[in-house]
Amino acid sequence: MSSTEERIRALVDENLEIEGRPPGRPLDLDSSLRDSGVSSLDFVAFAKLVAQEFGVDVSMEECASINSVGELVEFLDAKAA
Amino acid sequence: MTTGWRGHRGLVEDELRWWSSYRSSGPIKVFRIALTPDSGREAAAWNLLDTAERQRCRRFLYPAPRRQFLLCRAALRAVLCVALDCDNGELTFEFSRYGKPIPLVGGDRVPMHCNVSHSGSHGLVALSHRGRVGVDVEERRPRKNLEELVETVFGPQERALLARLEGQSWLDTFLAFWTGKEALAKAWGMGLRTDFSTFQVPPEMLRGERTGLFRCPRITNATWRLEDIGCDELAAAVAYEEDPGPGGEF
Ligand SMILES: CC(C)(COP(=O)(O)OP(=O)(O)OC[C@H]1O[C@@H](n2cnc3c(N)ncnc32)[C@H](O)[C@@H]1OP(=O)(O)O)[C@@H](O)C(=O)NCCC(=O)NCCS
Repeated sequence: MSSTEERIRALVDENLEIEGRPPGRPLDLDSSLRDSGVSSLDFVAFAKLVAQEFGVDVSMEECASINSVGELVEFLDAKAA
Repeated sequence: MTTGWRGHRGLVEDELRWWSSYRSSGPIKVFRIALTPDSGREAAAWNLLDTAERQRCRRFLYPAPRRQFLLCRAALRAVLCVALDCDNGELTFEFSRYGKPIPLVGGDRVPMHCNVSHSGSHGLVALSHRGRVGVDVEERRPRKNLEELVETVFGPQERALLARLEGQSWLDTFLAFWTGKEALAKAWGMGLRTDFSTFQVPPEMLRGERTGLFRCPRITNATWRLEDIGCDELAAAVAYEEDPGPGGEF
């Protein structure tokens, strides 16, 4: 597991509200955010928090193009590269 | 085909019905959808969906978003059937470039625009028989990390207003601005692809009024009416074309 992935998993558990997700169940990084029921407000707030933690900037347009937590990990890795 | 707002076509028994009229204003009508778990309603809703919509239901990972989609889409179908005087079997949807559903009857576009929003146990469906419409609802409850968002999603006057508030009034104003902007972005069909910090709610609403006219030639040539339609439980807004040109784009 990449260190970005590990940090994001911890941030998801603490910050991203996914209604009905059984507690403790590991997150499937490839599941679509829409199929998980994450609202745009919750996701933009989460993406902003994560970007701050990683010291990068994320625009609304970039948020709209991210469809899963896995894609958020890729986005951050690409920005850090 | 008529586009009037008429009674109930009997698609669902009256006592099961999970949607009710919420607001009417000019060319639009907004319905409130109850999204609390209810096996009878969910079974009736399932019967109204087509094959693609049922497949979509199966893709949801958790019961709550599945129920939100199911009950909202079925209610959307029911109110469209009444407004368009058509059968549920004739009604299908195509999707705009960024996923906004557009109703079709017998495969043809109709003089009716619609939009849907859901949050927790609240859903709203908006219909307009004169131009594009967008609606957004957010449950009125505290959320994490909203403060960090202010710079990204609000313009200078919105930020200045928020800076003077705290506690519940801060949250209420944040949600009023957010739902207003998202309703506009959904009316345009852009959703999150619009940079929310580049436009603000209309000046009347910055002064505390519940409605105002949005004009911003940099983003859109049309004039839009934005209305705050929130109540104690939910923050919500609807945006619709005030004066659509002939045809109205999707
Ligand atoms: C689609 C989007 C506008 C919805 O925002 P939201 O606050 O999460 O959800 P809401 O409940 O207000 O609205 C959802 C409804 O908007 C409608 N919708 C979808 N795309 C739309 C668009 N481009 N414009 C207007 N309405 C749209 C759909 O009817 C949808 O409901 P349904 O799927 O049950 O039929 C917004 O999430 C977006 O632009 N997303 C694009 C990128 C994306 O999906 N990223 C992942 C997580 S947010």
